[in-house]
Amino acid sequence: MVAKIADKAAIVGIGATEFSKDSGRSELSLAAEAVKKALDDCGLKPSDVDGMVTFTIDQNEEVDVARAIGCEDLKFYSRIPYGGGAATGTLLQAAMAVATGVAEVVVCYRALNGRSGQRYSDGVSGNLITGSAIHYGWYMPFGLLTPASWVAMFTQRYMHQTGCTQDALFEVAHSTRQYALNNPAAFFYQRPFDRAEYDTAKKICAPLKLFDCCQESDGGCAVVVTTPQRAKDLRQPGVLINGVANCLAKDQEEMTSFYRPEIARIPEMDIAAKEAYAQCGLRPDDIDAAVIYDAFSPIVLWQLESWGFCNYGEAEAFVKAGNLRPGGRLPTNTHGGQLSEAYIHGVNGIMEAVRLVRGTSVNQPKKTVNHALVTSGVGVPTGGAILGRMA
Amino acid sequence: MTPEEITAFEAKVQAYVGGEVSAPRTGKDDVNKAMIRHWAEVMGDENPVYTDEAFAATSAKHGIIAPPTMLLTWAMEGYSMAQTPAPDAKLDVQRELHAIFDAHGFTGVLGTNTRTEFYRDLRPGDQITSHQTIDSISERKNTARGVGYFVETVNTFTDQTGAKVGRQVFRVLKFQPNVATAEAKAATSDDAMPAAPARIQAPRGHDNAWWWEAIDAGKLLIQRCKQCGTLRHPPRPMCGVCNSTEWDSIESSLEGEVFSFTELSYPKFPGYPYPLVCGLIQLSEGTRLVANIVGCEADKVYIGMKVKGKVERVDDKTVLPNFYPA
Amino acid sequence: MNKTTRRFASVAVGEKLPPLTIPLTAGLIIGGAIVSRDFTPVHHDKKAAQAVGLPDVFMNILTSNGLMGRYVTDWAGPECTLKAIDVKLGAPNLPGFIMTISGEVKSRDEAAGTVDIAVSGDNNVWGTHMSGSVRVALPKEA
Repeated sequence: MVAKIADKAAIVGIGATEFSKDSGRSELSLAAEAVKKALDDCGLKPSDVDGMVTFTIDQNEEVDVARAIGCEDLKFYSRIPYGGGAATGTLLQAAMAVATGVAEVVVCYRALNGRSGQRYSDGVSGNLITGSAIHYGWYMPFGLLTPASWVAMFTQRYMHQTGCTQDALFEVAHSTRQYALNNPAAFFYQRPFDRAEYDTAKKICAPLKLFDCCQESDGGCAVVVTTPQRAKDLRQPGVLINGVANCLAKDQEEMTSFYRPEIARIPEMDIAAKEAYAQCGLRPDDIDAAVIYDAFSPIVLWQLESWGFCNYGEAEAFVKAGNLRPGGRLPTNTHGGQLSEAYIHGVNGIMEAVRLVRGTSVNQPKKTVNHALVTSGVGVPTGGAILGRMA
Repeated sequence: MTPEEITAFEAKVQAYVGGEVSAPRTGKDDVNKAMIRHWAEVMGDENPVYTDEAFAATSAKHGIIAPPTMLLTWAMEGYSMAQTPAPDAKLDVQRELHAIFDAHGFTGVLGTNTRTEFYRDLRPGDQITSHQTIDSISERKNTARGVGYFVETVNTFTDQTGAKVGRQVFRVLKFQPNVATAEAKAATSDDAMPAAPARIQAPRGHDNAWWWEAIDAGKLLIQRCKQCGTLRHPPRPMCGVCNSTEWDSIESSLEGEVFSFTELSYPKFPGYPYPLVCGLIQLSEGTRLVANIVGCEADKVYIGMKVKGKVERVDDKTVLPNFYPA
Repeated sequence: MNKTTRRFASVAVGEKLPPLTIPLTAGLIIGGAIVSRDFTPVHHDKKAAQAVGLPDVFMNILTSNGLMGRYVTDWAGPECTLKAIDVKLGAPNLPGFIMTISGEVKSRDEAAGTVDIAVSGDNNVWGTHMSGSVRVALPKEA
């Protein structure tokens, strides 16, 4: 059975705060500003909002955001678990709410002081930020404490199985840096980068080096989802949610799915891709550009395979052929991604995918973007969304 | 401090930037063997070119040299810096600047960075003079130690002929001690020295305590479904194959191979020994577990490497399985 | 220490230096301050250290410099020449802690005959005390 969700909802507004390393203010202030900007973008008012979705790990309560911006009555609110794996899961919730009439205007938000406050790279400890202490107890005593270390374990295996080299990781990182050169909102705006800097940077967890890891950030992002009918009357062209899926595959753990017969791939994303394509009848060839979740460089490679842009084990060749670049087959992370713009848990990526479809990215490809893909964090239950132009 | 007071204070200290700290200061002692030997003793530095006349004479150094990192030592003011100056004493520019910081509550001082270049080896008899300028004062920063300013001075060192022998950029933090930190609170008590932490412990609950208790007793167990015999790790309350909640366990042979691994380089967590390698170990029984790979260099570890485990104590609180090259 | 000096040609980028573990005593911390003629009270007077928020006297940066320099010259051998040393301090070193210094060759300059070594000194309680890099010239011929 395929979900009948295609084109039942549209993203009409996007908004973000400044991205920084020290916002100097509360996460609630970031959330309120991002949501208000997203509403302003499409010309809706806080009183139009009747639904909200965020991540379970977001510290901003719906009631607080609603009061801060002056919402009236809400009929729908829900949250998605598993960190960055929730990014496009918020769109799935919003689309279901809008498609069923549970709500008409849903705001999806994420705001965090991810740099000046609790940093994920500080690792899990007795004072856990997510998930169960029992689960991390299988890893903490051995020193496997950080997201980078868990991803490194998969990366080492993937390289072993496919022959993928550090060149592929560098190409992913370098392509985001080139895009960020033009993006004033990006940490690495106008900051050139080369292989020597990549190679000599600090080792994090082999094979990951410093610039294989995202820019932990302070900031907030929000998007507004409503019905395609209502979208027609708003300030910005609506961007349809053609397909959206969030999946959890067999023998999944939170960041440590080490016990499957093979670990050098991400089955939850394979399933999500299949589901999202089936919802809208599109194929990989129909996707013109992408925002692929890049908390770490190697995870982009695996997702390219999951979404069918290349076969398993061929991602290195795909990226080295320049396919992520401006004139390539699949311009990817044109805002600089989380490696080079900011790490707002993928919601800044949803915003960029919307811009790609609107035609307003700072690195807008020359070709027409009819459909853009945006994905969520990897290692946890995850998914993605295919966005497209309204007729 | 109000924003206006901060602005006025910053203007006052910034006026010192670019100025000479004092007239060039020539070291009270020439470079000499006694001070070199005292230094080498404390540093545990057994380099014979510092202290062994015979060795040094026949080496490429052709005689005793001073440890290069002593460079600043040759021009230090010395004991008087520990004394509170008399109220009417003429202060050098740096002490004057520090006094302004002190008067505004920035009483803490901490060296944070040095960048030093050495242009030649120094030898006994060399007479070192330092020429010091205040190079920059940062904007106000929030640091782990408290709010403060980084003050950077540049020292150029010359010898008795006037030739430059080295250069050192020295950065200190002048800060308001942060009395709110736990460390500061602990500091009021004499027996509050922080202890070396152990590794982070695995919390023990209904479904996993038995496994860790077996580890404490020196055994690596693998949970086994009583009904269908399926092995599972990490332990779970129900068999995912037959749904039985009845289980027992078998003891692992501790034989296995590396399925994947990573060397953990950064950040380094207190309580863990680095270099540190985490492996995903495929046990011969068929299950996998994460454990450290020890007993060989990190760059010698490879996927497929045969390993043999040993359950052993790794710190005061922790017993773990470690895997060695088989 | 090693009394033979390493040759430039024998050193490869990526080579790791053997780690050095140093138990930190009050004697080392205070002695290090005194032999570097640094009489700032926080390095020899526990009360002064407590007034700035630390429980005991802490190592001065010149001793950290000295230990980092020693670590590299121990490895390189007596006929090497130290050209530059950059030290950045992190967590304080206090009596009773144990510091482990590690290093790795990061680059080689063929023309100058120098190698750059990244060095980290980590204490067992609070983590990284010092990090930095040391440039050392090595003889070219045997």
